[in-house]
Amino acid sequence: MPVADMAAAAPNTLVQAATRSAFPGHTLTEFLAAHDRLTKAGYGVAVPRSFRQAAPDVSRLVGTDQALALAPAASRIAIRSSPRTAAVFLDLAVPMSRRLGTPQAFSSWVQLVISLVNAAPESVEPLLARAEMLDERLGLDGLKAWVQSGLRLGGGDERKRQQYFSLEMTEAQRLLERYAGEETFQSLESELRAGHRALWGRMPPLREALPLGKGHAELRASFGGGVVQLPASFSGYRGRERSVYKAALAHIGAHMAYGGSSFQVGQLKPLQIAVVSLIEDARVEYLAMREMPGLSRLWLPFHDVSPDGMATAPSLFARLARALLDPDFPIRHGWVQKGVTMFTEGIEQIGNPALSRHIGNILGNDLGQTRVQFNARNYVVQPAYRDDNLGLWDLPPEPNAPPQQHQFEINTFDRRETETQDSPQKRKQGQPDQAHDSGVETVTSARVEPSTGRVVAHLPEYDFTAGIERPDWVTVKEYEPGPGDPLFWHKLKERQAVLLARIGEMVRAASLGRARRLKRQAEGGALDLDATIEAAIKLRSGQTPDQNVYEGVSRPERSIAVHLLLDISQSTEDPVEAAGASVISLLREASAILAHAMDRLGDPLAITAFSSDGRDDLRVVHVKRFEDELTPLTGMALSGLRAGYSTRIGAAIRYAGAKLAKIPCHRRLVLVVTDGEPSDVDVSDPDYLAMDAKRAVQSLNASGIDVFCIALGHAAGQRHGEIFSRRGFLQLDRLDALPTKLPALYLRMAR
Amino acid sequence: MTTSPLLDAYRLTEEPKWHPTGEEVAQFTAAYSVRLPVMLKGPTGCGKTRFVEHMASRLDRPLVTVSCHEDMTASDLVGRYLLGPDGTIWQDGPLTLAVRHGGICYLDEIVEARQDTTVIIHALTDDRRILPLEKKGELVRAHPDFQLVISYNPGYQSVLKDLKESTKQRFCALDFDYPVAEIETSIVASEADIPTSTAAVLVKIGEKSRNLRGQGLSEGASTRMLIHTGRLMQQGLTLPEACRLAMITPITDDPDMRAALEAAVDACS
Repeated sequence: MPVADMAAAAPNTLVQAATRSAFPGHTLTEFLAAHDRLTKAGYGVAVPRSFRQAAPDVSRLVGTDQALALAPAASRIAIRSSPRTAAVFLDLAVPMSRRLGTPQAFSSWVQLVISLVNAAPESVEPLLARAEMLDERLGLDGLKAWVQSGLRLGGGDERKRQQYFSLEMTEAQRLLERYAGEETFQSLESELRAGHRALWGRMPPLREALPLGKGHAELRASFGGGVVQLPASFSGYRGRERSVYKAALAHIGAHMAYGGSSFQVGQLKPLQIAVVSLIEDARVEYLAMREMPGLSRLWLPFHDVSPDGMATAPSLFARLARALLDPDFPIRHGWVQKGVTMFTEGIEQIGNPALSRHIGNILGNDLGQTRVQFNARNYVVQPAYRDDNLGLWDLPPEPNAPPQQHQFEINTFDRRETETQDSPQKRKQGQPDQAHDSGVETVTSARVEPSTGRVVAHLPEYDFTAGIERPDWVTVKEYEPGPGDPLFWHKLKERQAVLLARIGEMVRAASLGRARRLKRQAEGGALDLDATIEAAIKLRSGQTPDQNVYEGVSRPERSIAVHLLLDISQSTEDPVEAAGASVISLLREASAILAHAMDRLGDPLAITAFSSDGRDDLRVVHVKRFEDELTPLTGMALSGLRAGYSTRIGAAIRYAGAKLAKIPCHRRLVLVVTDGEPSDVDVSDPDYLAMDAKRAVQSLNASGIDVFCIALGHAAGQRHGEIFSRRGFLQLDRLDALPTKLPALYLRMAR
Repeated sequence: MTTSPLLDAYRLTEEPKWHPTGEEVAQFTAAYSVRLPVMLKGPTGCGKTRFVEHMASRLDRPLVTVSCHEDMTASDLVGRYLLGPDGTIWQDGPLTLAVRHGGICYLDEIVEARQDTTVIIHALTDDRRILPLEKKGELVRAHPDFQLVISYNPGYQSVLKDLKESTKQRFCALDFDYPVAEIETSIVASEADIPTSTAAVLVKIGEKSRNLRGQGLSEGASTRMLIHTGRLMQQGLTLPEACRLAMITPITDDPDMRAALEAAVDACS
């Protein structure tokens, strides 16, 4: 029976009035046709039933088109995943359309589900099960990013993906926090750090706190053990992230500036601990605002409790907190009034933390005698900017406490750095040491998985047999360096002290440079004798003399930027006979020493390590970008380089050239350090990559970028002369001389 | 001994105000009375130049100031031959002028000048007190009233810019820094003609910005900047506006640093 006939035949039994009004005109026919298709597709009864129930509401909420589009989407899910999942999807359609509100948003949500069902059918159900929560926390864009991260992280592993989307993986929760806000800890970190240092003159190590448990846990800032931890996001403060982070950090700053030694827990009950903490919060805020009155504008907006309402413990706490901060807040509860009175009376001892303990004890006792219930287990400090108070108390360490840092190695190093960072000799400007404390602190506990690359560019490659340059042939992926040694610089300085000192001398000498004498100048420090005599002769013979009679001295100008390209292909793992170290370790040292020298000269330098695994995976590791300062992180990245894969040198040169092209320097140099000829797994013709590399060098030369190669090892069988031209490379047989040679060579070239 | 009228143009007509922060006036006077060269160290805008002006005026000496820069040659200091209609004419440089006629010569930010330029002051700053004019073949003996003062900001110079050891060791040195809050407040208040309470807020902001020294800012806001901010407020700008105009925007382009300074202004006001 044709669909139209069916609609006509049984209008009142099949189609309810609500459905009719939701699908006016011919769309009703379409709805019925869609329904019919779902019924006949053999998905069971649940799918068409859910469709029948959801579609009218969806149609009313986000439009008929969206409602009708549900059917093919459900069909797709039923086929790829399961009919059950499709039914879940349809049941969710109404709440989601209500949530998202616009046809566009709803459509892209459906698209997201469809794209997930295509890529990872097993993960759709766990995602749908949390759809509302995820939308609440992430919003549509955040959700997209989160889903994509999950797909990337899970890769081809079905179980891993499922774990991710059911939030069983820690990484999934961490990323959830990360995407849960327009501004996150990550995006605000450096601003917060600088702001905190400005306000308080110091910056304790700052970390992103790990999520506590599944999904919803409301995390607070914390400052136990000298380390400040801020949540990756504050839920419920969308759009106000910056203020809540600033407020939280300012609050902790106040604790650190005005707090005393930690309180002893002693016989105190949880309720008293909470009240003492609350008073202490108010006390340090009071002191901070006395110093910096503007902080009240930062803190007060978060106190939004009303003066009335049920006298529950959380409400009373919030009221007391507000009343202590906000003199205009009406007090309508005896307990709050008592707290404020005691606080005001104690104002003379405001500098003494014992005041908090005294008031808190009494107030806690008072509250304990009333019927007000306090549940310590689910008590969360309010308002959101205040810390969890753990830093205030001398608490016994929890035996089962999860480690708060991924990398303890870094953590201990931080502490050491923080202790010394304020010592006067380190305060000196412009020294590499200076960068230590700022640099190290930026190490967050979260690191990108070293095994996943991020596509950063597509580069052409030259095929000499065809004589054409294939556009977008090579995919460049950026990888994070492996875990490195935070003490790299330290060790290098110990091991190579003499060399570093000598290079320091060389740098000093080189930077003076040689000045050139400029003759016949319009102005200058002295008369140019030849020109003066000529001018005098002309004057006396009645002619007009040349005005350019002075001589000057030109200042040697330095304007050079270098992109150092390190070949870290598998062969660099080989040991060097003489030195007893591997090629890659010599590379590390040589680049570190060069970076050190260039940093002192103030010349821009980038260090990129490369290797390749076929044309789809030119693996680059940014050890130091041009804009990065030389910090311990650079050392860690250097020591974190791991040898592996092959050498697709042409592509790497193009990549380095592209980066260098943006640097406004007179001379730009790509310095390649490699230990072998180009090769890669997907290329059998040995000429192909060599010719491509040659072409890359030529094209860089044409755009004014020099390429110089340092070829390590014996010359036999290497083709560097061919690629880099005879003057464009240096053969270095004695590899252990590399750390000495590299800076010396640079200084010679940079002159 | 009187000074030649040639230097009259360099005399300060009015004594610049100076708020003492320590014993610097007495110390400088002592150094001057035995004509020892003096080096003033300190961050930019903390009052080094003002102090020299004040002292010159107090000691009733003309003050010849030279702002040193990278391109400065020895000739820019001692003088040079110029080509006139009838041949060459020798023109004394500012240093020679002060040496000949007995003024205080103030070389501001001396490390900016190249090291080979600064060695010409060596013979002037030990007990010889002579200035050889190589080009002219003349040996100028310093006027008994002549004194050399140099200033130098140890902060933002790179390792490559430092005084030679042989230069350093010829000088007495006075350390300058931004004054303590109380004194700085009174300086800002009187120089900018604003109420002390406002000046105190400005000084507090200044202190906060100095916390960022070496942590993203090469220098914090100087006393001079605070005074400028105060003057702008005197013109009717609000505190945040004035701070932005005279302090935050000039001092850095880094958005994080700006945000941090804005936060400091916000917190203190």
